[in-house]
Amino acid sequence: MYKLLLCWRYLKTRYLAIACIISVMLGVATLIVVNSVMNGFSTKLKTLLHGVLSDIVLEGHGMEGFHDPLGKIRRIRKDAYLDAQIDSLAITIDAFAMAQFHNVVTNETATRPVRVMGIEMKSRSQVGGFKEHLDLQKNSAEPSFAIPKEIQDYFEAVEEQIRKDRERERQDAHLEAAFGLLQIPKAAPDNDIDKVMREFFHAKPAVEPAPRPMPVPHKVRVPQGAVVGHLIAHMKWKDPNNKEFVDLPTIRVGDRIDLTTVSTSHRLEPKYDSFVVVDYFKSGMSEYDANAVFVPLEHLQAMRGMDNRASNILIKLKDYNEADKVVQRLAEIFEHDRLGIFTWEQKQGPLLKAIEIEKSILNILLFMIIAVAGFGILAIFSMIVSEKTRDIGILKALGASSGGVMKIFLTYGLLLGVVGAFFGTILGLTITWNINGIEALIAMLTGSRVFDGSVYYFKEIPTDVQPMGVLIVNLGAIAIAVVFSILPALRAALLHPVQALRYE
Amino acid sequence: MHGTTPLLCALNLKKTYVKFANRIEVLRGIDLDVAEGEFLSVIGNSGSGKSTMLHLLGTLDKPDEGTIHLEGRRIDNLPAEQRDALRNRTFGLIFQFYHLLPELSTLENVLMPAMITHSVWSWWLNRRALKKQALEMLDRVGLSHRLNHKPRELSGGEMQRAAIARALINRPRVLLADEPTGNLDAANGQHVMKLLRDLNQHDGLTIVMVTHNLELVHDTDRVVRLFDGRVETPEMILPPTFATTP
Ligand SMILES: Nc1ncnc2c1ncn2[C@@H]1O[C@H](COP(=O)(O)OP(=O)(O)OP(=O)(O)O)[C@@H](O)[C@H]1O
Ligand SMILES: [Mg+2]
Repeated sequence: MYKLLLCWRYLKTRYLAIACIISVMLGVATLIVVNSVMNGFSTKLKTLLHGVLSDIVLEGHGMEGFHDPLGKIRRIRKDAYLDAQIDSLAITIDAFAMAQFHNVVTNETATRPVRVMGIEMKSRSQVGGFKEHLDLQKNSAEPSFAIPKEIQDYFEAVEEQIRKDRERERQDAHLEAAFGLLQIPKAAPDNDIDKVMREFFHAKPAVEPAPRPMPVPHKVRVPQGAVVGHLIAHMKWKDPNNKEFVDLPTIRVGDRIDLTTVSTSHRLEPKYDSFVVVDYFKSGMSEYDANAVFVPLEHLQAMRGMDNRASNILIKLKDYNEADKVVQRLAEIFEHDRLGIFTWEQKQGPLLKAIEIEKSILNILLFMIIAVAGFGILAIFSMIVSEKTRDIGILKALGASSGGVMKIFLTYGLLLGVVGAFFGTILGLTITWNINGIEALIAMLTGSRVFDGSVYYFKEIPTDVQPMGVLIVNLGAIAIAVVFSILPALRAALLHPVQALRYE
Repeated sequence: MHGTTPLLCALNLKKTYVKFANRIEVLRGIDLDVAEGEFLSVIGNSGSGKSTMLHLLGTLDKPDEGTIHLEGRRIDNLPAEQRDALRNRTFGLIFQFYHLLPELSTLENVLMPAMITHSVWSWWLNRRALKKQALEMLDRVGLSHRLNHKPRELSGGEMQRAAIARALINRPRVLLADEPTGNLDAANGQHVMKLLRDLNQHDGLTIVMVTHNLELVHDTDRVVRLFDGRVETPEMILPPTFATTP
């Protein structure tokens, strides 16, 4: 009983103890804030990453992709387990291209490499991580690549005109033929370089049927729509009046963008087409926003000669916890196909791992802060034990055991730890929950921003308080406080009562 | 002396302090019997080892040689927890410098031995009775008006009376007093002595008191003198002869 009373009294009368409490408190608060912010970053990053990646991806190797994506989907759907687990699927093509467009701000022609992705709007939207990032159509029930009406009309009129012209030409030709003026066309040169190359390199013929030349889609003259990454189509511009950054569109909706990619035939050939910008893609992931151009799947297939081929099948699950099992099952089904099957986390493995490692190293360093607080406790406790030497003698003279005396100081350490951790938690949580306000305040006072939203993926500092983490930090801090009070407590316990009583 | 079996019996106690090369033989063979209900005073020069002897009797320290028996039971070689229990319940100790705990009020100081005896739970169950007991003790020493004062707000005499109340709270068999009036003026010293005398006569408390104030020994039943590390029993209590020892 006396232990509690004395602890309490020592706590109330020793101002030095407040130093211990404060050091524990600051350590705990720092740990909580840093962890929350780091967690915030990683969860936010994960959401963003997951936001643009589907739960599971089946991907082919190389630019030419894999054969018969629809057949593969049928095989997946035939499996009862997979059919039950899978919410939706989407076929996509992923290729690189050079984009050329007219920058309306600088009034120059700009060329840059992009990632051109062939998608089918409906299925891609169902898989998720797409529609919600569209600038204009995010709320529309069925986003589409439809190009503006007037452009459509104009091109149709042109097409009609050409058709009519052709008709007239043909009639003219008939007339000319009728009049015997027809020129005999020259025969095409026999230039089968593919065959020559194959023979030269002794290449075996492809197992899968070689892509056959496709008829150019019917509406070849009417350009297809394209969704362009937000950062491709905008540039930051500092308003000289209020010094704020604004996004200026460099490509407007309805503008033309030319894409040049390569065919997948045995000999690479440049393939190009013009598209009309219909929307922007803004996911917050600069990797995508600065590189991606989405175009209709079928059109890209046709352009690149990828008849009945695709690069990816995106899968959305009903329950992501089943992902590993689904991947395993898919691997069994496609054992003989050269396909990579990954969950989105596996695809982003190195990045997520790096964040994880960074976090644990930071935690070790930060626990050293609390260890410093622990040494503070050690020093202060040693002082208190020296100061209390006579009292310890008195207690022993009154019949207190060595263990009892030791417990006073251990309880004292525990109490300091608990109180410090408690206030540290409050402080840490308060800072965490108001971190953006604090950041704004610092920015206002110093004139420079600590956290520049335009640099990162996020507008403001994301935080994520994990109760388990807070608990561990608290327990760790309390444990350190107790551990560091063991030594002084032991010294108190081992004091000889007579020496202690004679102590001045 | 009293014929009955002694309550406390020390036989051939020796204690030597060794510091580097020099040995200080403080006690060289103490033989001392304390009868039940006796008020014994121990006199001796400063440095003659009175405090040391009292600490040995009160199991605060262990003798190098010799034995101490309490009611026929040997107590000098008991394990630590039994010695703790003896100090807590069987012996009451008071000191020249009072030795109150500065953080606690008078009442809490008095209750301290009882708090040490009881666990939190049994303290909670008995708190009323124990508090009443402490109040009675404080009443007995005339301090009922100073319950919530801290030691440094009390006078020397008051502090010593509080220390006596603390020594008595667990109803000990023997009170060991080390110069209880050493730091008090005459009037306060008289007051404390009267209190001790009273406790001895009315409550039958056995008291061993160390002092070098020869005037005080007149009030006690028996006087022994420590000299040269041994106990001498003067034939009569004669202050003048004390000054000229053999
Ligand atoms: N830890 C120690 N180490 C060495 N010598 C000690 C130690 N403790 C006490 N002494 C010596 O033992 C002797 C007896 O000390 P003690 O305190 O018992 O004397 P005392 O009779 O009580 O004296 P006083 O009347 O001044 O209180 C002294 O000479 C003292 O110097
Ligand atoms: Mg002394």
